[in-house]
Amino acid sequence: MNLLWENVPFLLKGAYYTLLVTVVSMFFGLIIGLVVAIARLKGNKPIRWLARAYVSIIRGTPLLVQIFIVYYGLVDYGVTLGPLTAAYVALSINVGAYLSETFRGAIQSIAKGQTEAAYATGMTPWQTMRRIILPQAARIAIAPMGNTFIGMLKETALVSAITVTELLRSAQLLIAQYYVYMPFFLGIAAMYWVMSTVFSFILERIEKRLSRVY
Amino acid sequence: MMIQTTGLSKSFNGLEVLRSIDLQVAPKEIVVLLGPSGSGKSTLLRCLNGLEELDGGSLEVNGVQVDAAMPARKKQANFREIRRHTGMVFQQFNLYPHKTALGNVIESLLTVKKMKKEEAAAIGERLLNRVGLLAKKDEYPSRLSGGQQQRVAIARALAMEPAIMLFDEPTSALDPELVGEVLEVMRQLAKEGMTMVIVTHEMKFARQVANRIVFMDGGVIVEEQSPEIFFQNPESERARKFIRQLQEH
Repeated sequence: MNLLWENVPFLLKGAYYTLLVTVVSMFFGLIIGLVVAIARLKGNKPIRWLARAYVSIIRGTPLLVQIFIVYYGLVDYGVTLGPLTAAYVALSINVGAYLSETFRGAIQSIAKGQTEAAYATGMTPWQTMRRIILPQAARIAIAPMGNTFIGMLKETALVSAITVTELLRSAQLLIAQYYVYMPFFLGIAAMYWVMSTVFSFILERIEKRLSRVY
Repeated sequence: MMIQTTGLSKSFNGLEVLRSIDLQVAPKEIVVLLGPSGSGKSTLLRCLNGLEELDGGSLEVNGVQVDAAMPARKKQANFREIRRHTGMVFQQFNLYPHKTALGNVIESLLTVKKMKKEEAAAIGERLLNRVGLLAKKDEYPSRLSGGQQQRVAIARALAMEPAIMLFDEPTSALDPELVGEVLEVMRQLAKEGMTMVIVTHEMKFARQVANRIVFMDGGVIVEEQSPEIFFQNPESERARKFIRQLQEH
C-alpha cells in the first residue's frame, strides 16, 4: 500500500494523459460526428455512400487494430506520428463514427414541420440546420453523447499499447519496477472510477439544465 | 395579380393530386379553398411557397416566377425569394419549442433579415401585442395553449412583412373553444387588407370573410364562386353535394 502512495504523483501524471486523450479525441470526434451525420442526411449519393462506408468500417473493426494502423501501419507510407498524436487521430476517427450515428438519429427525430416553418419564413437549409434543428437535436443527443464520452475515457487504456504513458501504462511501468501487481491495478481502477463518476455527475447536471429550458 | 398559377400539376408516387390548376388571386383578395379531404387544397397551398415541389406548370407569386422546367437551383432560389414575402400558418403551429414566443417571432428577422436584436425585439413585441400575447412574450410554446401558439405562429409569419398570408387549416388542431381567438386575429388581418389564401373547414368564417370560394375536388378546381352563391346555390353538382353533406352534420 505504501508503494502505491509513494507513486501517486506518477499515476496522477498518467491520469492527466488519460484525460487529455479523452477530451481532445472527444472534441475532434464531435466535429467529425456532426459533419458525417449531416453528410449522410444531406449529401449527394457519393458523399452519403462514403459516410456510410466510414461508419460501417469503424464500427466493424476493433479499436486496437485502428490504433495500430494509425501508429504502425502508416509508417509504411512514410507517415510517422508520435504516440500521442496517433492516439488523438485514431480515437477521434473512432468516436466520430459512433457520434455520427447519435447525431443522425437526433436530427432525424426533429419533426418535419420545424424545417417547413423555418423554410416558410425564408431561412436557408443551412440557417435552418444551425438555428432550428441542431439546438433541438443537441438536447436529444446529450445523454448518449455522455455515455460515449465515459466509454471513451475507459477505452483510452488501449493507447498504452502504443506507448502513450496514460494511466494504464503508468501502472505497468511501476509494476515492472517493483514486481507487484495488485496495489497498482487497484489504484488505477479506483482512479478510472473516480473520473467516470465525476463526469457522470457533471453530465447529469448539464442534462438537467438543458431539459429545464423548455 | 398577386398569385397566378398556370397549369400547375403535382403527383405523389404516380397519383395526380393537382391537375393543371389555374388560380389567380388579386391583391387584398381573400380566397378560401374548400373541398373534400384529398381534393388537393392543402397541396395547392403548399405549392405556392414551394414546400411541395411542382411537377408541371408554373406560378408567379408577388412578381417572382417559378416554372417546373427551371433548373432545381433556380427554382430553390426563386422559392426562397417568394417565401421572404409570403407568410404561412400551419395546422400544427410548428413553433420552435426551444425559443420563447418572442424568440419565435423574431427568429427570421435575425437570421434572414440580419436585423439587430433590439430592433427585431421591438417589431416582435409590437406583433405579439397585435395578436394579444405581449404578456406571454417570454413563455416557451410548451406553456401556451393551442390557440395562443397559433396566434404566436401568425405573429411569426407577419414579422417578415409578407405581401401574402397562406393558412393551412389553421384551426383544425384546436379545441373548439380556442378556435374563435385565432379566427378573430385572421378577421383583423383581412380587415387590414392582407392578401390571404386559406384552407379551412370553418364554413361560417369562410362565408363571412372570403371574397371568393375556390372549390376543389379530385385535384381540379371545380367551381369559383362568391361565398353568397356558393353556400346557397352552387352551380356544380359536386359543390351541391359537398354543401348538402355539410348541412347534414
